[in-house]
Amino acid sequence: MTNRFRLNLNIVALSATTLMCSGAFAQSVCLPAPRLLTTMPMGGQIGTTVEVTISAENAEIIDELSFSHPGITATAKLGEDGVPIPNQFVVAIADICPAGIHEARIMTRLGVSSSRAFNISALPEAVRVNKNTTLETAMPLQMDTICNASMTRQAVDFYTFEAKQGQRVVVDCAAKGIDSKLTPVLIVADAAGNDLVVERRGGAIDFTAPENGRYVVKAHDLTFSGGPYYFYRLALQSATVDELVARLPSTKTVNSFSWPPHGLTDDAVVAEVEPNNAGVEIQKITLPCDIAGSFYPAADVDTFEFTATKGEIWWVEVASERFGLPTDPSIVVQQVAGEGADEKLTDLVELTDVPSPIKVSSNGYSYDGPPYNAGTADIIGKIEIKVDGVHRLQLSDLFGGTRNDPRNIYRLIIRKATPDFAVVGWALHMGLRNGDRNALSKPVSLRGGSTMAIEVLAIRRDGFDDEINLVLENLPDGVTASGLKIDKGQQRGIMLITADQNAPRGLTSATFSAKAIINGVEVIRPGHVASMKWPVANAASEIPDPRLLADLPVCVSGSEVAPLTIAPAEEKVWQVVVGGKLTIPLVHTRRCDLSGKKISLKTFGAGFEKNAAFDAPLDQETSDAVIDLAKLKTPPGDYTIAFYGSAVAKYKYHPEAVTAAEESLKVAKEKAAAMVAEAKNLADAAKTAPAEQKAAVEAEAKAAADKQKAAEAAVAAADKNRKAAVAKASPKDIVDIVVSQPITIRVSAAEEAPKK
Amino acid sequence: MRASNLKSTSSRLVLQSRLLFVLIACCLDLRPAAAESDRPVSFVNDVMPVLTKAGCNTGACHAKAGGGQKGFQLSLLGFEPAEDYESLLKEARGRRLFRAVPERSLILMKASARTPHGGGLRLAQTSSGYQSILLWIQQGTPYQQPEEPELLSVEVQPPRGIVAMQMQQQLKAIATYSDGSIRDVTQLALFESNDTAMADVSASGLVQIHDIPGKVSVMLRYQAKAAVFTAAVPLGAPVGEVPEPNNFIDNYVFANLKEIGIPPSPVCDDAVFIRRVSLDITGRLPTELETTEFLSSTAADKRDRLVETLLKSPAYADYFANKWTTLLKNRRDAASDITSNFAFHAWIRDSLLANVAYDQLVRELLAATGTIIGNPPVAWYKRVKEPKEQLEDVAQLFLGVRLQCAQCHHHPFERWSQDDYYSLSAFFSQIGRKPTATADEDLIFHKRGVALAKNVKTGIDLKPVAFGDSVGDIAADKDPRLILANWMSSPENPFFAKALVNRYWKHFFHRGLIEPEDDIRDTNPPTNPELLAALEKHFLDSGFDLKELVRVIVKSQAYQLSATPNEHNLVDRQNYSRYYPRRLQAEVLLDAIDLLTGAKTTFANLPPGTSAVALPDNSYNKASAFLRVFGRPDSNSVCECERVQSSSLAQSLHLLNSSEIKSKLATAQGRALTLASSNSEPADKVREIYLAAFSREPRPDELSTAISYLNEPAIDADGKPVEATKAAKQNFQDLIWAIMNTKEFLFNH
Repeated sequence: MTNRFRLNLNIVALSATTLMCSGAFAQSVCLPAPRLLTTMPMGGQIGTTVEVTISAENAEIIDELSFSHPGITATAKLGEDGVPIPNQFVVAIADICPAGIHEARIMTRLGVSSSRAFNISALPEAVRVNKNTTLETAMPLQMDTICNASMTRQAVDFYTFEAKQGQRVVVDCAAKGIDSKLTPVLIVADAAGNDLVVERRGGAIDFTAPENGRYVVKAHDLTFSGGPYYFYRLALQSATVDELVARLPSTKTVNSFSWPPHGLTDDAVVAEVEPNNAGVEIQKITLPCDIAGSFYPAADVDTFEFTATKGEIWWVEVASERFGLPTDPSIVVQQVAGEGADEKLTDLVELTDVPSPIKVSSNGYSYDGPPYNAGTADIIGKIEIKVDGVHRLQLSDLFGGTRNDPRNIYRLIIRKATPDFAVVGWALHMGLRNGDRNALSKPVSLRGGSTMAIEVLAIRRDGFDDEINLVLENLPDGVTASGLKIDKGQQRGIMLITADQNAPRGLTSATFSAKAIINGVEVIRPGHVASMKWPVANAASEIPDPRLLADLPVCVSGSEVAPLTIAPAEEKVWQVVVGGKLTIPLVHTRRCDLSGKKISLKTFGAGFEKNAAFDAPLDQETSDAVIDLAKLKTPPGDYTIAFYGSAVAKYKYHPEAVTAAEESLKVAKEKAAAMVAEAKNLADAAKTAPAEQKAAVEAEAKAAADKQKAAEAAVAAADKNRKAAVAKASPKDIVDIVVSQPITIRVSAAEEAPKK
Repeated sequence: MRASNLKSTSSRLVLQSRLLFVLIACCLDLRPAAAESDRPVSFVNDVMPVLTKAGCNTGACHAKAGGGQKGFQLSLLGFEPAEDYESLLKEARGRRLFRAVPERSLILMKASARTPHGGGLRLAQTSSGYQSILLWIQQGTPYQQPEEPELLSVEVQPPRGIVAMQMQQQLKAIATYSDGSIRDVTQLALFESNDTAMADVSASGLVQIHDIPGKVSVMLRYQAKAAVFTAAVPLGAPVGEVPEPNNFIDNYVFANLKEIGIPPSPVCDDAVFIRRVSLDITGRLPTELETTEFLSSTAADKRDRLVETLLKSPAYADYFANKWTTLLKNRRDAASDITSNFAFHAWIRDSLLANVAYDQLVRELLAATGTIIGNPPVAWYKRVKEPKEQLEDVAQLFLGVRLQCAQCHHHPFERWSQDDYYSLSAFFSQIGRKPTATADEDLIFHKRGVALAKNVKTGIDLKPVAFGDSVGDIAADKDPRLILANWMSSPENPFFAKALVNRYWKHFFHRGLIEPEDDIRDTNPPTNPELLAALEKHFLDSGFDLKELVRVIVKSQAYQLSATPNEHNLVDRQNYSRYYPRRLQAEVLLDAIDLLTGAKTTFANLPPGTSAVALPDNSYNKASAFLRVFGRPDSNSVCECERVQSSSLAQSLHLLNSSEIKSKLATAQGRALTLASSNSEPADKVREIYLAAFSREPRPDELSTAISYLNEPAIDADGKPVEATKAAKQNFQDLIWAIMNTKEFLFNH
């Protein structure tokens, strides 16, 4: 640096298509399940055919790509040689297929995969192909189109469009609502890339062009994450000044299962009338009522006044958060005494959230509840009128203090008691090892001999308190379901789905419903099913993100069997008298090596949850479960129960692949050997060939030598595949939930005890 | 006052202040001294002032706030006389007072150092203070005398004046009591200069002015009251023509300069202006193209147009978002903070880009509810969790009031009491929280209920009151934070707009009209109160328009004055007679070096090309030695002082010889290597470097020096000639390195 010092003295005054099987082995909880991870594009226009490329995990053999709507069909895309191209499909979208989100899934060796949202739109669609992470490489967008793309990590995706002065353009981006991990940021900028309008809260940009010219749309993730899982659909729509432009469709949140109440129509709905905030600005209503309004403007408090009589009970329901809105409605009902200056308000009731029926997993060290929340920030509650007279109901949004957004709407219903319920279920989660906080997407893809538990929760309306029975119908051959009812006054039940050990491969779309007797009449309500969008291995590093599914496919893979089956020794109704002890012999069927000597079992079943945990030996083929009904105080009746725990299997992933790989290697070697011989012969021939043939023979010899090299390379590749298959198939410790086959018990009154 | 009328103001004010002093002295009904032996002595009105003046109740001695040496605990500066009375009489088994032989009382023995005392001699036996305490003990240690008057106020005489450099001014402290009496308490009052470089003050109130012109204040404290003396210290130099005013700012700045006799430097040239204003508004150097276009433009309003362009650019939002997010503690403590930090930074940045009115911005922050993703200002409540922190941060950042002291005791420099503190805290008492899936992150809502906060000392529940202003009863359904926001954004609010315009003034002029910028109080007056008031009014009239505030400031001639001092104004530190140069702050300097060298600093999780001023939080300081060395703050404090702007040896070494700078100079596709391989003329190459670094063309001597250096044959460490291509690269790196190390590059000037 000496020169620099001298000078200073002088101058000082101056690709998304790869299959990801390995992910399953990074985790040591839950046996591998097939999962559809991405489709590109994520949808298509009604009445068109689109080529779709997928990626998946635990899905090395894919039979088909299917959808929840019959109007969408897929066939494998064939190469020029007529052979299907891996992971590529041609998807036809029929004219009858409605716009919106449907489920896509694949059928694999391990059965049906988890779902991925597939979007059907009325607009023409495009796919971003080339990298567009600079202004110079921006992708031009046509007006009124949807572009499918995945976000580039640590980058901004650039698009351009042309607009005329005064033209209204709505730029929307679907991401979270179509299963993406992207938290989108949208920016409309001028032609030089200078930001004009920014939207970071998931909204659309409603932009009016200040002058004729080119504009830029920038899109990126809030924290500049990216990759194939950060996919998005960018819609660019031109609109007239007053035109209502619908947002891109979105999947439903889990807690939206409880909305709407059965039979709700818009027939009787009346609009909130502003101003209705306080004092004299109060909207008079008569009960019952059904009101549609919005939390607008900021700090809006909508106040309604009604007259009621002592002893009346009114039920109040508010929906807003369940519409997918970022709101938290709150109600205060007050008695009004006196008028004008003498007016006196007395609080009658304050209504806020509907809590989850059971504790939701916290963000602590270990699993302490399901990673699903069936509760809502909306309101279901009652008003008990204490005195005759005028009452005032104030409805506000606890999140609305500074927000000016008329899109934050609500529906307020005040009704006489209309007892009812809604149920939602999801594949059971539990702590499988110390500190485990997995929240995996779990398709109902059964191994032979396995029983899968679906945890079901109910939201009860308007005082309905009776038992709810769970039903699952239209199952594949060899599959049975047992609904462990939601007991009177309870909010949790279990649905068990069991595959026979020899159940054949099969797939159906099951019908999940719940039944109850209300006012002497049996009612049937559809059961909703939720699943994680992504297999979250550790909820401490990635927040689990579940949603409702449009349907419930149930499948038997036919390719694997459960590592362990626990079943009663006999298929019968187990009888016991009230207060007695019931001993149930259990049979353990082990189909692979298991770690540990015992499994600790707890009990599912209404009234049996408190049965003490007991150990069953893993190194023996039978054990006894003893249930002390005196302790449980079980009244007479018929019950279905099951035992559950966790066990560590020495699991081998796809051992058949080893055989196949070895066979491929053998064939490759044979081919290579033949090529070696041929090359040698031709080389020898070239040496002795007459002069006039020498050139031709030498050319043949060279071609043969090249083929030999290619064949040897094929051998190396085949050997690599074999080694990989061997590695995958080597036993790994994986802990998973084990649920026994259902057991039916009849508890009889003492005097009715039958003789054994 | 018109600027032309101010020429002879200096001498007139001196005369007026002297006449006023004489008049007041003549009119005062000063209490005649009673015979010492029968003068009734009160603990409250006589003994406490003595203890305070002697420094007994300061933090280092016996103030509770400092722990209280040897178990003798007094309230800080004597704000709680009743407690102090109890402490003196009853604690330590009453051994501090010896009524039988008063002069043997421990308090007197210690204070007069007749027995070992850690604080040394505080009261000589002959002093009036000693005698007052002795008399009080002799009279039976009464707390107060019957019908004793209460101290109502204290004033300093004279309250203001013009004092020449190196001259003195004696101050007098006059106390007024509830019975109408007044009393000269000069000997018992405490005096403190707000700028000891400009003036010192003795314990008896004698002000010694030094040799820096401007405004200096001396605070007077007596018991719980305070007053302030403000001296205008004229330089007295002839002030001829001043630049033609562009707006009201110039009127007030130049009027003040004329008043105190400091001639301003001339208006800077275009090259300095584009560099200065680009750095101050966008935190980045202008590009060569921007500079060339600006310098070649002949438009009369080209400076105004440039300002508009800069204010419209996203870089403006990036730069000021960097300022605000730091003050709002957008700090990354855990990896999981990334989402909330990015969201919060983006919210500020987008709001500035959209020029959301300042009062609305603060309202959205103050009364934030919901989730961070849904409503990013909620993230502030993740960082600032307790009502105590919330009120203190809001008071200091948005109102310019440092209220921390008032949590435990009466504010020593201000009128704020603990009731004021907890009444303000009550606005934050109804914040509800619900846990979210992200650890340590809550969603925020208004928890229904009547807002109250308990004064921990009195145990009384207090309703929300904003610095003594009643906001009425707040219904249980109302979020009190919205009421506080209403109060803050009221045009009558004495703090909110003032604090902001003072903060922004300092951003552009590098010295606040009030210093520190977040310590606005009666006892810390502005150096140009008329200017501050006019700025405040302009800001209010504009509807809290931040861009308009920037616009009016940078369009003023005062802002556009040259940084080069004239023969008189080098000593000026506070009158804005010239632009005060300031070293580029860490992020700006890093971006400037990248622009000069053509290097690209990359930051984790951010797209390549992201500038350092656009960094969303402090986490990047850990990975960047440069940002740490040059003082980028870690967002721990609402005080701008957390940013270190001072120079250090580490900074010099980093610029001179760090591997980071070396690699930037030698970066592939960088400026040095590109120029070395270019076929353009050497002079053009040098011009390019000068335009990039200084926004100007090189002078002829600079050009010839640089070209001759570039043409010098290079030799290696062994003295052997270096191959020509390699030498060219090396020479351009050297040239850029040398320019980078000039003050002209390192400073905004």
